[in-house]
Amino acid sequence: MRPFEFPEVTSVPLPNGVGLRVGRMTQLPLVTMTVVLKGGESVLADPQAGLAVLTGSALEGGTKSRSGPELAEAFENIGSGLSVHTGWDSTTVSVTSLADRKDEAMALLAEALLKPGFPPPEVDRLKSQRLAAIQQRRMDPGSLADDSIAHFVFADSVPYHRPLAGTPDSVGAIGPEAARDLWSGRYRPEGAGIVVVGDVEPGEVESLVRSFFGGWDGTQHAARSFSPEPRTREGRILVVDRPGAVQSEIRIGQVGAPRSSPHYFPLQIFNTVLGGAFTSRLMLNLREERGYTYGIRSRFGFRSKAGPFVISTAVATEVTAPAVREAMSEVRGLVEGGPTPEEVSQSRDFLSGIFPLQLETTGQVAARICELLVYDLPAQFYATYRDEIRGVDLDTVREASRAVLRPEELVVVVVGDGKEIRDPLVDLGLGPVEVISPT
Amino acid sequence: MLNVPVARHRLENGLRVNLSVDRSTPVVAVNLWYGVGSRNENPGKTGFAHLFEHMMFQGSANVPKNRHFELVEGAGGTLNASTWFDRTNYYETLPAHNLELALWLESDRMGWMLPAMTAEKLQNQQEVVKNERKERYDNQPYGDWDERIQAMVFPESHPYHHSVIGSMEDIGAATLEDVADFFRTFYVPNNAVLTLAGDLDPSEALELVDRYFGEIPPGAPVPPIPGQTEIPLQIGETVRAEVEAEVPLPRVYMASRVPPVDSDLFHGADMMATVLGSGKASRLYRSLVRERRIAKDVLSYVFPLQTGASLLLLWVTGYPDAEIDTLEKALVEEIEGLGSVSQSELDRAVAMTETHLLREIQHVGNRADLLSMFDQVFDDPARLNSEVERVRAVTRNQVQDLAGEHLGDDNRAVLTYIPKGSP
Repeated sequence: MRPFEFPEVTSVPLPNGVGLRVGRMTQLPLVTMTVVLKGGESVLADPQAGLAVLTGSALEGGTKSRSGPELAEAFENIGSGLSVHTGWDSTTVSVTSLADRKDEAMALLAEALLKPGFPPPEVDRLKSQRLAAIQQRRMDPGSLADDSIAHFVFADSVPYHRPLAGTPDSVGAIGPEAARDLWSGRYRPEGAGIVVVGDVEPGEVESLVRSFFGGWDGTQHAARSFSPEPRTREGRILVVDRPGAVQSEIRIGQVGAPRSSPHYFPLQIFNTVLGGAFTSRLMLNLREERGYTYGIRSRFGFRSKAGPFVISTAVATEVTAPAVREAMSEVRGLVEGGPTPEEVSQSRDFLSGIFPLQLETTGQVAARICELLVYDLPAQFYATYRDEIRGVDLDTVREASRAVLRPEELVVVVVGDGKEIRDPLVDLGLGPVEVISPT
Repeated sequence: MLNVPVARHRLENGLRVNLSVDRSTPVVAVNLWYGVGSRNENPGKTGFAHLFEHMMFQGSANVPKNRHFELVEGAGGTLNASTWFDRTNYYETLPAHNLELALWLESDRMGWMLPAMTAEKLQNQQEVVKNERKERYDNQPYGDWDERIQAMVFPESHPYHHSVIGSMEDIGAATLEDVADFFRTFYVPNNAVLTLAGDLDPSEALELVDRYFGEIPPGAPVPPIPGQTEIPLQIGETVRAEVEAEVPLPRVYMASRVPPVDSDLFHGADMMATVLGSGKASRLYRSLVRERRIAKDVLSYVFPLQTGASLLLLWVTGYPDAEIDTLEKALVEEIEGLGSVSQSELDRAVAMTETHLLREIQHVGNRADLLSMFDQVFDDPARLNSEVERVRAVTRNQVQDLAGEHLGDDNRAVLTYIPKGSP
């Protein structure tokens, strides 16, 4: 087996505190350039929820010298576009272009990021779009279930309890200057990173970055601190009522683990055994044996603080309660009994084998390097990733899952037809069942 | 501009084989296209090609149920399959030294699937697929749009009139005999393209392919596609349907017939759609979303199809209080404006398409899939390498003419969704 090498990364500290990382991938004439800013939605208090997402998207509103349409044309003339993503822990602003257009692409990236115009009509337009998108999420059963489980897993003091992009109230209250204010305080070089990956020379990139980002200055506002408390320690079932629904969207979750958890690798193996692959226990039971669902998965949301652990599936209304019973029994069985040695070795081989497939594109590699910066991970993290995965054994998986998961405290959310599913769910005896309206 | 290597071979049983070497990463993609899709389904059997795809994962003579998934995932690979109008593809990408495993698995089900079929497995996958239909169509806002649009754009006699997922009734009615017939008719080496891409030694790989697939007997030529495949490239009128449903926002879908994927005019149609609605400098985004602020989002896309016509799709999602007529009128105004296309906006569309193609082929799996596609549709996998040139050759006049020809009121299906209970 030939070893897979993570692309070679050159690290260049710049005077204004920005960390520059250049990764070389020369198979195709492409380059991805990403500016990563620490502190995403989780630095905001509830009344401001959604402002970081809105601010990121409002970069398309134009710059000091170009209107929104002019900025879009400039990017698209070189076959590129501005891509902004705001998560709980960071905002990334990215462009991917042909390698021979990198000078223009970086100039535009710098202009969009460092000299945004935030014209009020554009901020207002993006706000209307966000509000409409929130309305869409609330009528989409899957998104409604995602948002509901987050709410019932985390206490109100934890930002993760709310939808990432905010609520109608919080977004509705955003004023014309709010985006600019957030940008002034948070789009700053200290602690930020510039990640360039593709068919480029590090020296050339460094001089480009110095010329376009050399004047960027200021320090970031401090992030607010919180502790990822659960909403409750009691197992319970919430039915979000959608009368007449033909399917139930089921989420089963609780507070999981942070990105910095010492159990990170064993939990990945645990999750692969439970619901992270086609051959996971949940899939084999609920899909291949019982035909209850098209698919079921589980995942840990590793964030700067402990994010959610969630099992997700959609099942026919009439098998809702049995599906919940089976999923609960799988997670309980795996935490209590542990995986088999075969499952552990199969999952190790799966995760280490697919690792290169997650690093095929300049964008994927850039995103991985950004993760190192956001979560303060060692530079060697990806070089040793496969060894770490291969080093996980049965005992560490068992220990990790018992340290992190408490099956008796799992919260169940079902978005479905309350009249049909309530009684069978009560009969499961998993805890109180409450039927609520979608808000 | 592109230089994806590809060597073609054909086994005696008719299996077409493409090898594309790239040793930069120690992974290999195995991609198999069968020339069968929903277009090949007979009346009363809608959704069967897709249900059959599920059955292909239920084991074969030497592979028990679930073992296919276990072996590929345990080898550190990913796998899946998809069914579309004109084809069904199966693919896995895995560490290069596991190539032989993937070839064995694919050949076992191409040659010897039927001995493993049971009523229990069929019933299980019928339930899985019914749930897939519920999840994607019936429990999803706007979820049935494509089923409705297809029925409006293509006449009942045309194989694209029905959806790939098929009706609940037909999914439920499938029998083991249907599985056997379908297998013998379509899952034959002479109706398939096998592409291997990535870290491989060509002569070794070819020898393995021959060892595993060589003894599978060829089948009869596949029967003609049922129904009327030749259709005019215009619907002939504006067809309308209005749906009041559990949707959050009003939305207008508009679809038209445009030239099929193997027509010389296809790229022109594709650039027309790009100029109209791809990207934030596109006409629909600029006008409807940004300036007039009547749309929350817009979309414009051409589905590349082989049989008679491709389908151009536009949608505009309005804000909660939007008048559906205003949205449609605004969309029509932008369509009519395509009588005049500037060189700079066409250049933008071409540049975006180029970057998009390059980004796509960074994935070895996509590269393999595109080579299979160009082989299946054009009998020429290397055509991938000249694709950019064909996109660049599109002219303003072509786009303008295509707009006049295909986007008029004699070639529109207009489907509107209105939130239930709105005035």
